[in-house]
Amino acid sequence: MDKLGNWIKPLLQPLLALAAGLAVGAVAILIVGGSVTETYAEMWKGAFGNFYFITNTLARATPIILIGLGVALAFRAGFFNMGSEGQMVLGALSAAITAIHLPGPGWLKLIGAIVAGMLAGGIWSAFAGWLDAKYRMNLLITTLLLNYIATYFAGYIVTYPLKDTTGSAAMAQTVMLDKSAWLPKLFQGYSLHAGFLLAMLGTILLYLFMKHTVKGYEIRMLGGNPLFASYGGVQRGKLMFLSMFVSGGLAGLAGSVEVLGTQYRYLDGALTSPGYAWSGIMATLLAGSNPIGTAVAAILIAALQTGGMGMERNTDVPLEVSSIIQSVLILFVSAKLTYSFIKRKKAGAKNGPAV
Amino acid sequence: MDQLFDVSLFASALRMLTPILLAALGGAICARVGLFNVGLEGLMLIGAFSAIVGNYLTGSIALSLLFAIGCTLAFSLLFAFMSIQLQANVIVVGIALNFLALGLTTFSLRAIFDVKGAYYDKNMVGLPKLNIPVIEDIPWLGGVLSGHSVLVYASILIVAALHYYLFRTVSGFRLLAAGENPTAARSLGIKVTRIQYGAVLLCGVLCGLAGAQLSLGNVTMFTEGMTAGRGFIALVATMLGQSNPLGVAGASLLFGFMESLSIRLQGFAMPTHFTLMVPYVVTILAMLFFKDKGYMQEARKSSGSSR
Amino acid sequence: MLLQMEGITKSYGNVTANRNVSFNLRKGEIHALVGENGAGKTTLMRILYGMESQTSGEIKLGGKPVSFGSPTDAIRHGIGMVHQHFMLFPSFTVAENIVIGREPSRAIGFDRKAAAEETTRLAKRFGMPVDPWKRVGECSLGVQQRVEILKVLYQGAEIIILDEPTGVLTPIEVKELLAAIKELARQGKSFILISHKLGEIMEVADRITVLRDGEVTGTVNASDTGEEQLSRMMVGRELVQLGRSAAALGEKVLEAKGLTVRGSKTKPLLDGVSLNVKAGEIVGIAGISGNGQSELLQVLAGLLQPDEGTVELSGQDVTGASVQRIRGAGLAHIPEDRYLWGVSKEADVTENGIMGHTGRLSKNGILRRGKARSMVAEWVERFGVKTGSLDTKAQHLSGGNLQKLIVARELAQQSPFLIAAEPTRGVDVGAMEIIHAELLSKRDRQGAILLVSSELTEVLKLSDRILVMFEGRIAGELTAEEATEEKISLLMAGGKAVG
Repeated sequence: MDKLGNWIKPLLQPLLALAAGLAVGAVAILIVGGSVTETYAEMWKGAFGNFYFITNTLARATPIILIGLGVALAFRAGFFNMGSEGQMVLGALSAAITAIHLPGPGWLKLIGAIVAGMLAGGIWSAFAGWLDAKYRMNLLITTLLLNYIATYFAGYIVTYPLKDTTGSAAMAQTVMLDKSAWLPKLFQGYSLHAGFLLAMLGTILLYLFMKHTVKGYEIRMLGGNPLFASYGGVQRGKLMFLSMFVSGGLAGLAGSVEVLGTQYRYLDGALTSPGYAWSGIMATLLAGSNPIGTAVAAILIAALQTGGMGMERNTDVPLEVSSIIQSVLILFVSAKLTYSFIKRKKAGAKNGPAV
Repeated sequence: MDQLFDVSLFASALRMLTPILLAALGGAICARVGLFNVGLEGLMLIGAFSAIVGNYLTGSIALSLLFAIGCTLAFSLLFAFMSIQLQANVIVVGIALNFLALGLTTFSLRAIFDVKGAYYDKNMVGLPKLNIPVIEDIPWLGGVLSGHSVLVYASILIVAALHYYLFRTVSGFRLLAAGENPTAARSLGIKVTRIQYGAVLLCGVLCGLAGAQLSLGNVTMFTEGMTAGRGFIALVATMLGQSNPLGVAGASLLFGFMESLSIRLQGFAMPTHFTLMVPYVVTILAMLFFKDKGYMQEARKSSGSSR
Repeated sequence: MLLQMEGITKSYGNVTANRNVSFNLRKGEIHALVGENGAGKTTLMRILYGMESQTSGEIKLGGKPVSFGSPTDAIRHGIGMVHQHFMLFPSFTVAENIVIGREPSRAIGFDRKAAAEETTRLAKRFGMPVDPWKRVGECSLGVQQRVEILKVLYQGAEIIILDEPTGVLTPIEVKELLAAIKELARQGKSFILISHKLGEIMEVADRITVLRDGEVTGTVNASDTGEEQLSRMMVGRELVQLGRSAAALGEKVLEAKGLTVRGSKTKPLLDGVSLNVKAGEIVGIAGISGNGQSELLQVLAGLLQPDEGTVELSGQDVTGASVQRIRGAGLAHIPEDRYLWGVSKEADVTENGIMGHTGRLSKNGILRRGKARSMVAEWVERFGVKTGSLDTKAQHLSGGNLQKLIVARELAQQSPFLIAAEPTRGVDVGAMEIIHAELLSKRDRQGAILLVSSELTEVLKLSDRILVMFEGRIAGELTAEEATEEKISLLMAGGKAVG
């Protein structure tokens, strides 16, 4: 019974939140004069209706999962890394440039691009960590501000020096990557690409890392009580650098696989306007920084988005209902801490006076 | 250089300063009662959007301001409830509210105006501009100081009022006490929870005004996510100003000036990407001069023994 | 009779903190309330002060039944409380701290000048001088205590509850405080004094009520009793004397020379401290808290960089080294504040248990969870840590049980050197005996132990050598044979150094 309870308890809160999100979404649907059942049915179809839609949802989930994993790692270590967007953008740009300019066979370009993307994202993220360690700058704020700098910088690169001048369209983008450097599609004719496998692999690896390695243990302790960690010999500086680097590296990987598996070039705004980074952060919050939970939550969020598009195609309800459902989800999940707080308070009272 | 630093640059700095200042004051008052409000960005966005909605619905400036304040009040009540009543992590609640604000405004833009991205109507009236007698006739200074929206002047008055309130009144004294040592304050019969709610709601009002200045003062339109990180810049202004109204005003002035400079530089054959970066780069540089509490103190606060 | 508390019972679930307690207070009386930790003194006073409500029983004030829903109610009825951990606002001035809650005002404005004048007037009337414009954070602890008392007097208190008022004061400040209390009692104020320092109580109290396990074991006139009788009433049995063999001294394990930490204040926090600990001895450090002990421990444990001085552990120079290296050289450390340094509340018992042991419990960076669990399970068994399971979060364990877990964890390091800071703070008598026995047995196995405790009795009981700290320096050194409570107290107050 206890075992069963342990399995259900972490699920209970997200499920309640999901119910609340759908309920508020229903209100929004009614406000714009739609039919709740019909709209949700269309949404389901748009997300999981057939094999095409399922693969489409998973393809969208791929960068969200990777970003979510990175954010989860940082959160677990106690660092509010809000800079995924910039890290992803710089990762994507570096991946694109590497794939275009690295000489050699396709597989080398591909691997080089992925490594470059992860390095770029990781360095950008570790930079914020360095600012915190060295100058005690609030990490939450610096990572947020660095997003703007990174996106404007990437925008500049593809608007001026590396602009694709071959095509007729005056878009701010790089040239198309060589076909040999593309990430393979998993199924012929469907958008799902090998990046999804990387995301799955990353999920499992991060889960095992957090649970079964000494470094993972140290990261969790650092996030729980940094003074306890330093007392026990955990080196905050090094671990912060490591976790921020890996966190940003995962965001960079997310950007890279989008470029190598979907866009095949760096197109300004193609990664920022779908809000992958913010969806990733949402997924992490939703799952309480648990790696497997983050992956599940990321797929859920992707489904809300692809479902929302399906809904918009077939009903008069606007796509933005999805974003309402997402935000309500988060809001309810942030009350999770509450739930355990109330329990703690009761337990405290039972144990007698604290003073 | 003369062309760069002309009257209209300083005048626009004053306009740009206002939303940041108002939100930063809201952040300061929250910080004073021990709540780090990351939700300023979202509150401001709600304010900006609802001001436009109010304008669209009533056509009256006063009513649209009231409507904006009402909406941000409701929103900040949510923040207060989650963080004070339910004791959820303030930062998580703040982030969640930013998401909610973005989602709600985007949805409502669609639901109410049936447009995507931005709403503009040439029939909308912006905030009235005030010409201050005497000063407007002074060369240069008149051009800088006169002819702004009411909120620009209001924000300066609010700085003074807030300063007086915090450091000169009994009620402000108790607010400071509630923030400094809530347990002690509570034991003296000071209603700490009520004060915290009051502070968050006041922050809501200020953010509502900040948003209104953004959508009805600086321009007369609403674009999706138009706050563009100003809420976070305001947060930095709060920190730099050490949550002291005058200090916050000083920090906001710097950021406002940088923003207007960034707009001005676009006319100087510089890639817009770099000019748009300026406010963010300057904000980060400004943080060099403000030492955060550091993780040791932070951890002491949250893990400290209950003895 | 000014105040009567009759048949007070307070239970939390199935734990009873107060059982049928009766207590009364006369006007102008100093009535001491004594008992061991957890005897129910604080609970009783929290009930009187309106911070908790009794399960049953009645409180009468001037013969009339009263009930207080909050401290504000109690204050309104003339009851004031000075808490063990001061309820002050460090960045506010003395005057602001005194008038807060009842500020003199002009319209909505706070009249700070009137507050200062009122403070000066009050201070003069009750003979407790303070500077109204000074920030409380910059005042000494003795002055802070004074501010607390002036605050309750300003609030119009007739009955003043003092909860362990002398714990952090120097002996001189204690003398001043006790004199001030006597003077106030002469002026008609009544005091309830919670303390476990029997000497002080015998000095000032008119009557003494003893609590044990939540029940009153008796109320006696101070003139009719003595410290021995009171201790028997408190503990309920004769105290066991731990058998100790003579120290078999070995090599120097720890050698610190000239440690200095400047800090941000004008006076250094740690001022040229040198000490050594040999294998097979317990060196005790006594001192009023805040005289550099914390800084000394943090330097030795690698948590604080000294500005000057060297630390050598097991023959290696570890000055300014990382915690990891110092632990590698042979340090185990029972921290001073267990919640701050000793545990992560969100983590479970196993995770809290393996901190510092991960090297032994892993292979190629992979944690061997099974081995970790069996190791922690063994400690839980041996030290009698009461926990739901090994997966219970630390925050759900009581303070005493957490302390046992921490002690077990650090002893299991089997390190040559152990820092034991406040090893028994807040634990029950049974646990205290286990911990003391374990520390002595480590010493007998040639361990070197540095013990820091604010309980003088603990230092005297366990130490082979005692160093007394005062204002960041070692004020004196005493052997176990020559050490007495009086000699140590004198050194703690900055008296003449003996050694």
